[in-house]
Amino acid sequence: MSYALEIENVSKKYKDFVALDNINFKIEQGDFVGLLGVNGAGKTSLIFSIAGINKFSGKIRVMGYDVVKDEIKAKLSMGIVPQEVAIDSFLTVHQTLKIQSGLYHVQNNEKWIDEILERLSLTDKKNTNTRALSGGMKRRLMVAQALVHKPPLIILDEPTAGVDVEIRKNFWEFITDLNHQGHTILLTTHYLEEVDKLCQKIIVLNKGKAGKQQTKHEFMNQSFSFDKTLQVTLVNATVPNELKQKVLNQQQNTYILELASDDDIINILNLFRQQNIKIENIEINHKSLEDIFMQHLGR
Amino acid sequence: MIGFNALLRREIRRFLIIWVQTILGPLTAAFIYELIFGYVFRNVSTGIEGVTYATFLVPGLIIMQVMINSFANTSSSLIQSKYNGNIVFLLMSPNSPALVILAYLVAAIVRGIVVAFAVFIGVCWFSSVMPYSFLISMFFLIIGAAICGGLGIIVGIVSVNFDQIAGFQSFIWTPLIYLSGIFYNVNSFAPLWRNLAYFDPILYIVEGFRYGFIGEATINLTFGTIYLLFLAVLINFIAYVLFKRGVKIKY
Ligand SMILES: Nc1ncnc2c1ncn2[C@@H]1O[C@H](COP(=O)(O)OP(=O)(O)OP(=O)(O)O)[C@@H](O)[C@H]1O
Ligand SMILES: [Mg+2]
Repeated sequence: MSYALEIENVSKKYKDFVALDNINFKIEQGDFVGLLGVNGAGKTSLIFSIAGINKFSGKIRVMGYDVVKDEIKAKLSMGIVPQEVAIDSFLTVHQTLKIQSGLYHVQNNEKWIDEILERLSLTDKKNTNTRALSGGMKRRLMVAQALVHKPPLIILDEPTAGVDVEIRKNFWEFITDLNHQGHTILLTTHYLEEVDKLCQKIIVLNKGKAGKQQTKHEFMNQSFSFDKTLQVTLVNATVPNELKQKVLNQQQNTYILELASDDDIINILNLFRQQNIKIENIEINHKSLEDIFMQHLGR
Repeated sequence: MIGFNALLRREIRRFLIIWVQTILGPLTAAFIYELIFGYVFRNVSTGIEGVTYATFLVPGLIIMQVMINSFANTSSSLIQSKYNGNIVFLLMSPNSPALVILAYLVAAIVRGIVVAFAVFIGVCWFSSVMPYSFLISMFFLIIGAAICGGLGIIVGIVSVNFDQIAGFQSFIWTPLIYLSGIFYNVNSFAPLWRNLAYFDPILYIVEGFRYGFIGEATINLTFGTIYLLFLAVLINFIAYVLFKRGVKIKY
């Protein structure tokens, strides 16, 4: 069986700027993979290269088809939700999906279109002009567009940005069902809880370079250090300078501190006492995906 | 073929939905030209025996609107897609560049034909002229729309904004149209302008189309036909290459 996606020595330059630097990875059929990276890491550049929108050097195969040499077959094998909302404004939702189906050489798929609309909570907007959709609805319509031809590989570039909580839940149920039916999913998102809940494997992009593909389990257990963190909420104070490099995350007076060992907890608390810093609340937690992600990026 | 049909339907719907602007507009413009020029120049000789100025003007006005509209159809569609970003859907879609260009081109020709009929309705009141050969008129209409539609694709691809399209229209398009003998018999031009006009492909489109109406032409149409066929192929081939390479579209 071929891989759903193979990326071999892929590099991408915009003029002199290197956006992708020799990326290599393979995604097996049926996987649900999270592609993580901060703003500007190169996620969209990689997706546009796969999609045939960007020029690049290297090799990319989708379901075994080379995206350059076997362009049509490769493109028929994937459905992509671009990050930027862009929809024809002179069509209704239904017309948009009919034309999109035609572009992917599919006819007579009314039943499937109705099912997609239902699962994406768009049924009552079927005959609405796209101009009259809200931002979150437009994004869901773009998801619908990517699915009309039931592509084996589904690529989602931040599909839930601006989508409300309840509909997001329905949306992920739908995508998970598709994954269980055998569709391979590649997802980028900045909501790490989504990645935590959904993805089996994770690839981190950092400044155009890709880290090793890991299962979520491996990713969570990689031993940068100890796997516990200390969360402290301070009363009118900031952490002492000695602790600055241990801070993983900060929200107002609440800090998440990296721990090297259980003894570290005592050391840190001692330091607070010496400097007369009052603590309002204290918790010892296991690292979240987000903590590990931040550490992974080397901050 | 299904992909081609979908794209063609989309492009046709795009101009039909704004029919006030795309169909009623040309009809009204032509009506006003005919009303004013047909009256003011009613005593001007057309240089063709038995053909009044009003009659001379009818085919000219029709083909002018055909050319303007087929150019506008492709150029504005592409620049709009680039501007609002949905060109990515076109680039992602599993259809060969040749098929995409062909769909845009056929849509431009369809718009040309629709506009021709609409304009005819607007100007047929001023003269009893009917096509002498419907087929010949149709041939020059299609080839004219193909040249202008192809030019629109090229301009739509290489422009980065609407201003550049407007610039193309005022500095290249308008002079070519006014040199083309829509409003006058080019043989009545001063020698310099007449010789210049002979290079203007639009002259041959206009003259050929008018020949289909009145059965007379003021210039050699055999050369004109070959010249136009050559240009139609060349322009659309350039459009195809630009799109395939993704000039100013793919980064
Ligand atoms: N068309 C372009 N021309 C020049 N530089 C570009 C272009 N598109 C992207 N870049 C640059 O390439 C880098 C990667 O951008 P990309 O859009 O791939 O990031 P991303 O990981 O998708 O970020 P985000 O999370 O913000 O969507 C950025 O530094 C960006 O400025
Ligand atoms: Mg992006």
